[in-house]
Amino acid sequence: MSRRRFLGASLGGAGAGLLGLTGCGGEAGSASAGTDHLSLWYWKGSLSDQLLATARRGVPGVPGLRVKGSQIPDGDIDSKVRTSLAARAYVPDLTVVNSDNLATFFPDENEFLDLRTLGAESVRDQYLDWKWKACFTPTGRMIGFPLDAGPTALYYRRDLFRDAGLPHEPADVAEEIPTWEKFIAAGRTLRAKGPGKPCLLSNIGNVFQQVLLQSPKQFVDAENRFIGDQEHVRRAWDLSVEILRQQLSAGITDGTPDFNAAMSGGRVATMTTAVWAIYGLKDTAPKTSGSWRLTTLPDGPCNYGGSYVTLTRYCREPEAAFAFLKWMLSPANQLKSYQEMALFPTTPASYADPAMHKPDPFFGGQQPIDVFGPAARKAPVVWFSPYEETANTPFFQELTNVEMLGKNPERAWRDAVNTAETTLSRVGVS
Amino acid sequence: MATVLDPAGAPAADERPPARRTKSTTPGGRRRHLPPLLAISPFYVLFAVFGAFPIVFSVYLSFQDWDGIGDMRFVGLQQYGWLLRDSVFWHSVLNTFEIWFLSTVPMLFLALVLAFLLHSQVRFTGAYRVAYFIPNVTSMVAMTVVFGSVFAQAGLANAVLRAIGVDGIGWLSSEWGIKSSVSLMIIWRWVGYNALIFLAGLQAIPTEHFEAARVDGANSRQTLFRVVLPQLRPVVLFAAVTSTINGLQIFTESQVLFQSTDTGTTGGPGQEGMTIVLYLWQKAFKEHQFGYGAAMGWVLFAIIAIFTIINWRLVSGSDDDRRPGLAGLLRRKGARDGR
Repeated sequence: MSRRRFLGASLGGAGAGLLGLTGCGGEAGSASAGTDHLSLWYWKGSLSDQLLATARRGVPGVPGLRVKGSQIPDGDIDSKVRTSLAARAYVPDLTVVNSDNLATFFPDENEFLDLRTLGAESVRDQYLDWKWKACFTPTGRMIGFPLDAGPTALYYRRDLFRDAGLPHEPADVAEEIPTWEKFIAAGRTLRAKGPGKPCLLSNIGNVFQQVLLQSPKQFVDAENRFIGDQEHVRRAWDLSVEILRQQLSAGITDGTPDFNAAMSGGRVATMTTAVWAIYGLKDTAPKTSGSWRLTTLPDGPCNYGGSYVTLTRYCREPEAAFAFLKWMLSPANQLKSYQEMALFPTTPASYADPAMHKPDPFFGGQQPIDVFGPAARKAPVVWFSPYEETANTPFFQELTNVEMLGKNPERAWRDAVNTAETTLSRVGVS
Repeated sequence: MATVLDPAGAPAADERPPARRTKSTTPGGRRRHLPPLLAISPFYVLFAVFGAFPIVFSVYLSFQDWDGIGDMRFVGLQQYGWLLRDSVFWHSVLNTFEIWFLSTVPMLFLALVLAFLLHSQVRFTGAYRVAYFIPNVTSMVAMTVVFGSVFAQAGLANAVLRAIGVDGIGWLSSEWGIKSSVSLMIIWRWVGYNALIFLAGLQAIPTEHFEAARVDGANSRQTLFRVVLPQLRPVVLFAAVTSTINGLQIFTESQVLFQSTDTGTTGGPGQEGMTIVLYLWQKAFKEHQFGYGAAMGWVLFAIIAIFTIINWRLVSGSDDDRRPGLAGLLRRKGARDGR
């Protein structure tokens, strides 16, 4: 081969490669085109590794079906799904979506298959009602399938509560601290009489979040109107500011080295968060094992976090993909996922299983399911808009400003409302 | 000379010198260009696909309203209009410049000092050079995590301050604390890199110039200001321009340092760590307002272009001392000191 022909051939090859790149997209668009398996995108820890290993060899009960999972970094999966959908090429057949993000796909609901057309209603009674309802877009298309849930609880230090003379057994705490107001009062006692004058909370952001999630309304309603300046948000704001005013918050950001130090040093007495925080807490403060207890969140439980699985419209075999979902997320397999990966089941039938009723020494032998099970059943049905994050970011930001920089709460509230309104007007929310 | 032998070139040879003629007019000439053109084509093909196309597309995108999947909606200059009225954007511009100034000025100064130290005869120069380059090739995310614990309320930085009897600073929770910690990270990352650039520039100065200065009785200060700095000017210009471009694109430090589950990545308390690129990323990739992000990218481009020109003017100046310029100022100051 002469040099010229070699160069010509290599350029031709490059050209063909580029054409091939676009050609694939035009043909099917699925990342699994031309293979013998369906492709599934997920992030580490969102699905059971063991069940995925089984599915890769063959989904039990569905002859000939293989599903291959690909791990995508947690923070990247959303934009990766988005870009592949925009390019109509290399789109996965199935993908995991975080609870906060499912609604961001509502404006593009046609990019996903409606699971009702695949017979989703037949398994409906197995799943938590609020979780099932959250899978639907405003037009009634079911684009998500329930993966895991994030029921919430009040995590508290039994020893600190006891030494401050407060009720300290889970049942007593639930009974005597049923509201956020009572919770704040307990915080005052704790600060005055507790050993080392512990703070009630690490920061007020989590309380703000949970009070909001206890409300069925968030920041934008189903008619695409901004409702973040209304009473339900204002109440969450006022409660958070009150905690701050009473100097019950330690003012440290969760997950930072300061937070770790405060948690292991007993400077913070409670956490208001979801079931998945257990593993972070055990990791952060192993020495406090045995001192923690769980009880109902003041004003009742809510759901914080969790995920869904969606089928994209490029899915090569929708029926088979749905059969995989039914198998992977069946009550029996959700139970396995809980035991293996701590994914909290969305199938209430799993809660009664003895396997979920193991005493946890970190919580002094308490069974976490006794608190999280009822919480998962009782969580309210919450409406999320595609623009929730755009709308609520200024509020969380201003709350941080109040807590960390001592900004005037009234001014911060006005700034938050103004920023949210301006930002939302750009995306068509009035 | 091939053209002289070429009969096709003959008629024109009377009017113009034959050597100036291009070979493409000779028989088979165009084909003879093909192999070299093909040889360099991969770069242009790749650049067209991954460089030029995205650039052109982002211009187009900045006139659209697009969430990344659905249909685009043409909105004209609306994105730019919103951007000019967006107080968070202007806050991020101000932050970026404050952080840029806080980091670049001390960084270039330190780099120059380090370069001088390395230039004089010290042992293990090679080891120092490697050491100076290490921060630049360290993973930024890993480094930010480390700095995050150094600047924590109970972290190393405050422990040192308390040891010398100063109250701890809210490094990550006060306006200037935030800007200083981000700046310190940038200084740590780039000072060694720039020191090596300056060192290369220093070593390019002929030793005769130093000897001549010594013979003329110049002291070390005069040598620095009248011999070294004027000759280092192109290198200083390079360092200043690249530092400006890098400085206006600060992103990872703020993103990793101020990440929280509640507020996402909004640059920490008071959004004091919110930079232009962080805001761009937040709007485009977190809130899926790609048109707005693209518009912001082009405004950032304009800002960088303007400041690169200003930088160029300041540092390159001219040999004429009447023109204001950093080098001119330095030289005049040096002249005053010499008297």
